[in-house]
Amino acid sequence: MSRDDLLTGGHRDAAPPDVDLDRVWLGVAERVWRRRPGPVERAAGRLLRSPGLARALVTTPSLLLGWVIASAVILLAGVGMTLGTGAPWVALLAPVVAASGIAYAYGPGVDPAWELSQSMAVTDRMVLLVRALAVFGLNAAFGLAASAASGAAAAVTFGWLVPMTAVCALALAAATVTRSANVGVAAGAAGWVIAILAGQAVGGRYIAAVTDSALVLPYLAFAACCGVVTFVATRIPRGTR
Amino acid sequence: MNVELTELTRKFGRTRAVAGVNLEAGPGVFGLLGPNGAGKTSLLRMMATVLPPTSGTMRLLGRDPGSYGPRREIRRRLGYLPQTLGYYPGFTVAEFVEYFALLKDMPPRQVPRAVAAAIEHVGLGDRARAKLRTLSGGMLRRAGIAQAIVNEPELLLLDEPTAGLDPEQRVAFRALLRDFGQWATVVVSTHLVEDVGAACAEVALMDAGRIVFHGTPADLIAEGEGRGAAGDAPLERGYSAALAAARSAAAA
Repeated sequence: MSRDDLLTGGHRDAAPPDVDLDRVWLGVAERVWRRRPGPVERAAGRLLRSPGLARALVTTPSLLLGWVIASAVILLAGVGMTLGTGAPWVALLAPVVAASGIAYAYGPGVDPAWELSQSMAVTDRMVLLVRALAVFGLNAAFGLAASAASGAAAAVTFGWLVPMTAVCALALAAATVTRSANVGVAAGAAGWVIAILAGQAVGGRYIAAVTDSALVLPYLAFAACCGVVTFVATRIPRGTR
Repeated sequence: MNVELTELTRKFGRTRAVAGVNLEAGPGVFGLLGPNGAGKTSLLRMMATVLPPTSGTMRLLGRDPGSYGPRREIRRRLGYLPQTLGYYPGFTVAEFVEYFALLKDMPPRQVPRAVAAAIEHVGLGDRARAKLRTLSGGMLRRAGIAQAIVNEPELLLLDEPTAGLDPEQRVAFRALLRDFGQWATVVVSTHLVEDVGAACAEVALMDAGRIVFHGTPADLIAEGEGRGAAGDAPLERGYSAALAAARSAAAA
């Protein structure tokens, strides 16, 4: 059945001659095809003041249900291992889990429509920023919940947040510069392993990477440097006039 | 002029994909012809503000895309169909088109009507609620065209838009091009010369990063007359003759 038949119940002659069926059909199609944003997207749209950014946020690959469940399962395993062995596994795992999510938040090969997104008015830099912050926030919440569940001391519960920021910033910078999420994950994981091993070598305790308060400033400085690298890597050079 | 390019160059390492292109285009359908590797896609990506030029100057819709504000304004009025269309397999056609309407910063209230109109324009009305992963190649191409035209762009850039379309769809698509060309600048990159003959008022032929011919389809046909150039149709013979002349001039 054609759309004109659908609109007139098969009696095309019944439609008044001054009625534009194309226009009527568009009105119908508009209502039928309209998508109702979910509560998260609506809230994000209000917060960001951009429905486009909100839509881009809820399509983040590393915020899709499967990824979120996988992250939660890894941290739950960390809780079990912490309770079983007494070693702070949650604090050691959380930065790498978050860094993986950040690296897989946006980029070529990760986001199917990346090439098209590059030509959009809502800039890819804003999309990257919003997605990275959302992934970081979710992983920080997961990590805190897991730390609390594992009964870790307060120093350990919050101690990994700053190193996690540095590891995430490293993963984001590496993924942005090389345009490869896998390189971002590898850089983040390698950086974190090096930090742990350095803590072991200097202080004799691998947990020093999380508990040593003297490392807070170096972590933050390193994260800031990585942020600058990401900023530079995502700018479009001038001189194209 | 909606497109003004002066000595536009793009290098990838030592390779000059686009080598000093000068081009002006106003409203109408502009065909970009050339063999594989001629630089058509790189030129189109620069015009789509996806790829920054290595050197040269570019003004699009009277603005400088090198500055943030003007670039954003250009992108609001731009439609772009890349050669390889990436898509979210779980999105429906309507969701896909709506996503890019929102990223183009269209006023949210206008989006549902614009999405419906764009989908109807490309003849995908009966598949609007189908997931993209269930569509054929030609239908995906049409979904890509729908996202490109959803904001009624003043500058529409289409890279190989007819790839995968059947003859009936190609005829309908050429009508759509002519329709948009009445008020917008439509740049179509293709290696199908019949598309150019049927829809374009102006044509440029690229080879090795340079524009080696610029004129009307009739001018291109005239290039091939009486030269014994290869090709089954007049435009194909003109294409072959213009390309051969440019290559022999470059070799000399």
